[in-house]
Amino acid sequence: MTQTIKKILPGDFAIWIFIYAELLVFGIFFISYAVTRSNNIELFNESQLLLDRTAGMANTVVLITSSWFVVNAVHAIKAGKEALCARWLSGAILLGGLFVMIKLFEFYSKSVEGITLSTNAFYMFYLSLTFFHFLHVILGMVILSVVLFNTRKGSYNGEEYTGVETAASYWHMVDLVWIVLFPLVYLLR
Amino acid sequence: MEYQSQAVAKYYFTAAIGLFVGQILFGLIIGLQYVVGDFLFPEIPFNVARMVHTNLLIVWLLFGFMGASYYLIPEEAERELYSPGLAILMFWIFLVAGALTILGYLLVPYSTLADLTMNDLLPTMGREFLEQPTITKLGIVVVALAFIFNVGMTVLQGRKTVINLVLMIGLIGLAVFFLFSFYNPTNLVQDKFWWWWTVHLWVEGVWELILGAILAFVLIKTTGVDREVIEKWLYIIIAMTLITGIIGTGHHYYWIGTPEYWQWWGSIFSAMEPIPFFMMTVFAFTMVNKRKREHPNKAAVLWALGTGVMAFLGAGVWGFLHTLAPVNYFTHGTQITAAHGHMAFYGAYAMVVLAIISYAMPIIRGRAANSNKAQVMEMWSFWLMTVSITFITLFLTAAGILQTWLQRISETPMTFMATQDQLALFYWMREIAGVVFLIGLIIYIMSFFVGDDEAA
Amino acid sequence: MDEMFTKSMARNIFYGGSLFFFLLFLALTFDTMGVVPQRDNHENITPTVAAGKMLWEKNNCIGCHTLLGEGAYFAPELGNVYVRFGNSTEAIKGFIKSRPKDGIPGRRSMPQFNFSDEELEQIAQFLKYTSEINTAGWPPNKMG
Repeated sequence: MTQTIKKILPGDFAIWIFIYAELLVFGIFFISYAVTRSNNIELFNESQLLLDRTAGMANTVVLITSSWFVVNAVHAIKAGKEALCARWLSGAILLGGLFVMIKLFEFYSKSVEGITLSTNAFYMFYLSLTFFHFLHVILGMVILSVVLFNTRKGSYNGEEYTGVETAASYWHMVDLVWIVLFPLVYLLR
Repeated sequence: MEYQSQAVAKYYFTAAIGLFVGQILFGLIIGLQYVVGDFLFPEIPFNVARMVHTNLLIVWLLFGFMGASYYLIPEEAERELYSPGLAILMFWIFLVAGALTILGYLLVPYSTLADLTMNDLLPTMGREFLEQPTITKLGIVVVALAFIFNVGMTVLQGRKTVINLVLMIGLIGLAVFFLFSFYNPTNLVQDKFWWWWTVHLWVEGVWELILGAILAFVLIKTTGVDREVIEKWLYIIIAMTLITGIIGTGHHYYWIGTPEYWQWWGSIFSAMEPIPFFMMTVFAFTMVNKRKREHPNKAAVLWALGTGVMAFLGAGVWGFLHTLAPVNYFTHGTQITAAHGHMAFYGAYAMVVLAIISYAMPIIRGRAANSNKAQVMEMWSFWLMTVSITFITLFLTAAGILQTWLQRISETPMTFMATQDQLALFYWMREIAGVVFLIGLIIYIMSFFVGDDEAA
Repeated sequence: MDEMFTKSMARNIFYGGSLFFFLLFLALTFDTMGVVPQRDNHENITPTVAAGKMLWEKNNCIGCHTLLGEGAYFAPELGNVYVRFGNSTEAIKGFIKSRPKDGIPGRRSMPQFNFSDEELEQIAQFLKYTSEINTAGWPPNKMG
């Protein structure tokens, strides 16, 4: 049983407990958003117009690309190519940093317009969801950085790479959440 | 008992049980006052008896946590306690200060107590659970610091196991968050906001770390399961505790003047607070099922398993029932809260203290476990107390549902007092259950004195 | 079960997760502190109101009553008593003043605190101030 689980879920199982908990929270938040939206369609549609879809689109491309980098990093370490793995990880982290900067710019422009968590229900959800996700991107970058550091130190090889898979699983979750969040909050009318 | 200094726990455990008896006696008084409204009025008005009841609860649990720490930390750290003398000194200071405070509540009017203890210099009195005079609170800080210093030095100079570290984090957190009790702003919204940084972050935060560490210790000792397994599950459980419980504080910020987004953040995260309790129950049962030894102390194992179940039901399930904002809008401040509170406190904290006492006291007294006769009696007390608290909770839940309907939901709402009259039957039944609880507690105490001194 | 996950990963999740959510909590607290002044009726915290809160605490009113739903469940909610008593501080003062010192036979009884007129005014003003805090529409009705 243990072996089967190990094959299905890459990386340390502990991160999967954490991932499930996170998906549960985001999932409940998304459903809450959807339900509140159905009770406030006009307000939501109107407020949504103020969102920066270009920034959102850019961030989507950035995150998906960064996830692809991480996939390559895992392939590299499986093949015993530690230096290559490190380079892919660095790229993923840099893209994560780009996401962070675009996001900070988005938050800054909202705050300049005086939009806060208490402005209205739509903005409460928009800011809560994107800020919560934003923090996860930062946490993901921290995790990837630790794994990058370990990779350069030679902690992983072709046989032992659980740490890389664990970090990759977490990063993919962060990406997945954004892929749901962006259309749901930015696009759906 | 591996280390002689573990014996100081006996003082703390004895005081804990004594104060527990006091707590229940006063619980019976206020339970009776609910239906015989002027019972003991005006000598002991309801609010005085209530603060004695709640303060005794908190103090006996603190004595229990300290006793548990003095017992398990030397064993985990594999060295004697840093200063048994300091532990005994602090014991007497805490006990005497506590007794004087309770006497203060009972013997003089509360406002007089405030004047006598110079509350005006730094007013911290008059808030729920924090009724202690400021000088008592300062005394608690001193005792807590001395205690943390004592066990902290023991850990620093000894083996740093996961159990030790988790317990220390919980205890330090307890001390740090208690400091918020000194902050009492005139702005009522601020007052209430920061009050919860003591109360919630205690019982739905750092106290759960203390609970987890003590439970893990008892399980390691009684089941023989590999320490590595138990310790890694302990980390996951406390991770889920803080991941859900910190933002879960928001479920106290729905209706007190704080922004309305807390209704979302608080609901979502507090709805997940049962998860660590569920994990604790599965954890306890799994470890016992996979045990590598048959420990002679069956009673202790029963308390440990019971803690998981009752904590999950009382704190987890009953908490969940009224944690979502749309529900809480109607149930806030009703008997639903009291129902949840009683089962949660008993299940999580009273029971874990009773579990460690059950495990440790026989050893301190020189045997691996008590005689069969004593254990059977102890197990009777377990069932009497646990079943009666369940009935107390059920009766108060019924009262709370009826109260919510009559006073808050009905299109012709009744006044508070008129509603309370309608709940009298449930209060009487609760009181009877409370008497059964006291009987269970008396039998528990008797179990310490029956049977011969030989192990089972 | 043994190598499904490692202790060090569990430990990292504990420390990392706790720090993460504590920081998030601090961020939300910071925002709350900025917003609360728009809801907390602080403009009406006069010295009288402040003195009223002191009396509320020194006499442990919360030991029987709830205030904004928090406290003891023996006696009525007082966050909205000002509204329940017809927006009248006189009614509040009259009620407190009229509590019989030996209680009401067989009924839940409130002590007679022998407050001065000034103290009664302070308590009533404190309760009026409380009733004007923006509590998101709680309680559901005037019964509290």
